[in-house]
Amino acid sequence: MQSSGNKFVGLWQKLFGDPIRAFGVVSVLFLISLAIAPAKNRFSEWGHYQKGYVRLIRGRGEAVTLQRHFQSGIQQIWLPDLGVVDRCTTCHVGQKEASLIDVSTQPFRRHPVIPHTSEQMGCVICHRGQGPATTVEEAHRSTLAWEQPILPARYIESSCGQCHRAPLTGTPQLNEGHRLLTRYGCVHCHTVKQPDGNSLKATDDPPSLSHIADKTTRQWVFAWLKDPQAYAASATMPNFKLSDNDARDISAFLIANSTPIPDDTASNSSPAQKAAPDPTAGASLYGESFCASCHAVQNAAGNVVGGDVGPELTRIGTKAKPEWLQAWIRNPRIYDPGTEMPHYRFTDQQAAVLTGFLQAKADPDLLANVHLDAATPEQIAHGKTLVTEFGCASCHEISGIKKPENFAPELTRIGSKPSKQPRAFGAGLKMPQYSFNPAQIDALTTQLLSFTDRAQSVPNSLAVAATPASNYQPAGKAGQLMNDLACFSCHAINGRGGNMAPDLTWEGSSVQRKWLEDFLRNPNTLRPALIRRMPKFNLTNEEISTLSDYIMTVYQTPAFERDSMPESGYSSAQVEQGRQLFYSKYACQSCHIVDPKADKGYIGPTLTQVGARLNAAWIYHWMKNPQALRPGTGEPNRNMSDDDARGLTAFMMSQKGSGKQEAKK
Amino acid sequence: MAKTATEYFDNLRESRIWRSIFRSGSGSSTLHRSLAIQQNIFLHLFSTKVRRRMLNLSATWYLGTLTFGTFLILVVTGILLMLYYHPSVPQAYADTKDLQFVVSSGLFLRNLHRWSAHAMVFLVFAHMFKVFYRGAYRPPREFNWVIGVILLLVTLLLSYTGYLLPWDQLAFWAITVGSNIASAVPLLGNKIHFMLLGGNLVNANALLRFYVLHCMILPLAAMFLIGIHFWRIRKDGGLYAHQSEPATVRAKAMAKQAQ
Repeated sequence: MQSSGNKFVGLWQKLFGDPIRAFGVVSVLFLISLAIAPAKNRFSEWGHYQKGYVRLIRGRGEAVTLQRHFQSGIQQIWLPDLGVVDRCTTCHVGQKEASLIDVSTQPFRRHPVIPHTSEQMGCVICHRGQGPATTVEEAHRSTLAWEQPILPARYIESSCGQCHRAPLTGTPQLNEGHRLLTRYGCVHCHTVKQPDGNSLKATDDPPSLSHIADKTTRQWVFAWLKDPQAYAASATMPNFKLSDNDARDISAFLIANSTPIPDDTASNSSPAQKAAPDPTAGASLYGESFCASCHAVQNAAGNVVGGDVGPELTRIGTKAKPEWLQAWIRNPRIYDPGTEMPHYRFTDQQAAVLTGFLQAKADPDLLANVHLDAATPEQIAHGKTLVTEFGCASCHEISGIKKPENFAPELTRIGSKPSKQPRAFGAGLKMPQYSFNPAQIDALTTQLLSFTDRAQSVPNSLAVAATPASNYQPAGKAGQLMNDLACFSCHAINGRGGNMAPDLTWEGSSVQRKWLEDFLRNPNTLRPALIRRMPKFNLTNEEISTLSDYIMTVYQTPAFERDSMPESGYSSAQVEQGRQLFYSKYACQSCHIVDPKADKGYIGPTLTQVGARLNAAWIYHWMKNPQALRPGTGEPNRNMSDDDARGLTAFMMSQKGSGKQEAKK
Repeated sequence: MAKTATEYFDNLRESRIWRSIFRSGSGSSTLHRSLAIQQNIFLHLFSTKVRRRMLNLSATWYLGTLTFGTFLILVVTGILLMLYYHPSVPQAYADTKDLQFVVSSGLFLRNLHRWSAHAMVFLVFAHMFKVFYRGAYRPPREFNWVIGVILLLVTLLLSYTGYLLPWDQLAFWAITVGSNIASAVPLLGNKIHFMLLGGNLVNANALLRFYVLHCMILPLAAMFLIGIHFWRIRKDGGLYAHQSEPATVRAKAMAKQAQ
């Protein structure tokens, strides 16, 4: 200790003992420290990578081209409109070189082909990170002076969603996220404001609870509240993790709060048990009515099979009271005027058969352990408090409780929240437990990550707006009928409606009236590969004629005159020319069937009876440009000459359905 | 060898060009040497005579000189930084990022400026403590002490105004808090707050005002006061070395001189 102290003193004396020498020593130290700065410039990280790139391209066949493209020094993309100064290309030198396809080491990897160029968009708009930075650490990671790190590649589609608010073909994960966000009712509680000022709308349809006692029992409500997925694996409602007491009190309140609807229970008709002459009648009516197009049922293997427009029916018998179920099947619009369920014109007998069939889909285990005493006023009052606290009325209509506004945090800019602050979810949170799988969670994350500050401020020239929601409503008696039959649950017209069935906006220009009437009376499938098809609604002749009148008159395209071409009277030469074109020049049989024995195409509709179904003028214009009549159709645009289109029209119109019987066999 | 060098130097001092620049001329008499100091614009601020022992580190720890040294570094690096910096809301932060990432030695320049500023504040305080505990503030130096206190304030204000210029979150909130403290002044508080920021919030006007204060007004004030400060050292009889020196130090110094 002593000696080292002495050593230090000695060294100090040697260096600083003499003022002149001290001055010299200090000067040298100062010079060294000054030399650090230019040295750091000389041996910069990006310089190291650029040297590496030059070494990489030197041995390659196309070295001369690559060398010509290469520019040394700091590179930047500057887009003042977007506030982008990106120097990423300083190190990511080869990102535009198509020939570097085999290079897998970063930062020299080639960028995959995308619809935008880096000159147009820069890099950080999609990838985030710090664009102006020229060091690896600062550019990619979250640092003291920059919170936004590089976006993980699996969420990269979220960046597309900042400008593109409508679904894109290249972003399945983002589209799925958008679907989940609206389908699972997230936006009932969380507001998501679009940059155009509108809020995102939910696409699920949570039922009103104001009359729930008509429909089901308190025991079922309790079991459902405890675990909705135990009742139906595909249930939309998330699990609120309620205690037994809370579920007891909420069920007590909902039942006590419920008011009956007159005519909503079928007391006058014959009970369900009586009407079952044939044990398979219920199942066949369920199949014939295409209930499975909208409703799913869990099969023995545990898979949920069927559509997800309506609720899953696996255990419907445990839930619905028989008298309510029968009344609902007869006319769902009495209980819920806005339901997507069509008003089938079932006879009382049919309704009873279907009720009996559905009542048999029961699971006695579900309610086996539910024993509830009669509700006390305190429990009901507590239930009401809980319903308010959990924001049930955000989704469900409950009489006496107002829909809360801004119930949960707004998500408009959630994607720009600093990623360095992971939230610890506490036990007291109100957010319920959804049963999403990891892919769905990634999709939702992707969607949420697209709600950024930048998304709110992209210039109008770049924003691609979503198609605005249409509130189209057909007029008159036909309009009422279409609502009653819930046509919009499956068909879209003028931008409103589902996508399960064809768009009917120009249906009046497309089909022949006789065919339309027959189809409404007894729908058959047009496409051989389709499982779902239009159910039979048992319409009266008067209803059919009202609907047909309206469709034929109103849903006409302005593009052409419907009756401008004759329905028949084509010469056999024209028909033969069309046949030639169909089979050889355009090879239509790859997707369509005209001769059921020979043709194998099943992608497009069967054309055996197309001459009795479609208008000649529609066929002609469809041949000329199918996308003009129905955007997004799978039919390719073949740029036909007028002659070819006319010949094919003649051939099509000659297919009046002679092959129908053969097709059936 | 050394002698030859001295001769060369004497020859140089005799040359016409040298004489045209330095009026005192050659010669090493006491008069010549004091004239050389007095007649030089840079040196005339200093005392014509300095006690040798006052040049020892122990006498002052060179704290005043070091403070002045950091000030010079700050002026030089500050001027270089001004070449890259726009005091405007959309540019200011981007410019500091550019200094960090693309300007040659920009980060070194900025860090040197920043650390020198910290060092200057520290050194000013240390200097004042040294002066205070040695009793060097006593007459006839009491006015120079007052100048020193004002210089301390100018130093702190320079540091404070410079803090806003990077225009990051730290800067923004530091200035928000700082200017709100100013508004606590009775009666005039809100007026001062408004005047300081050129508005009610820290925004473009505040940035511009702080820039002008930091790069123009305060440095000029500091240079003016530093000039007076140095000049008063000379007028007040040079560096203070008297009773307050510990007896051992004085005895040691005397012994050294006697050698």
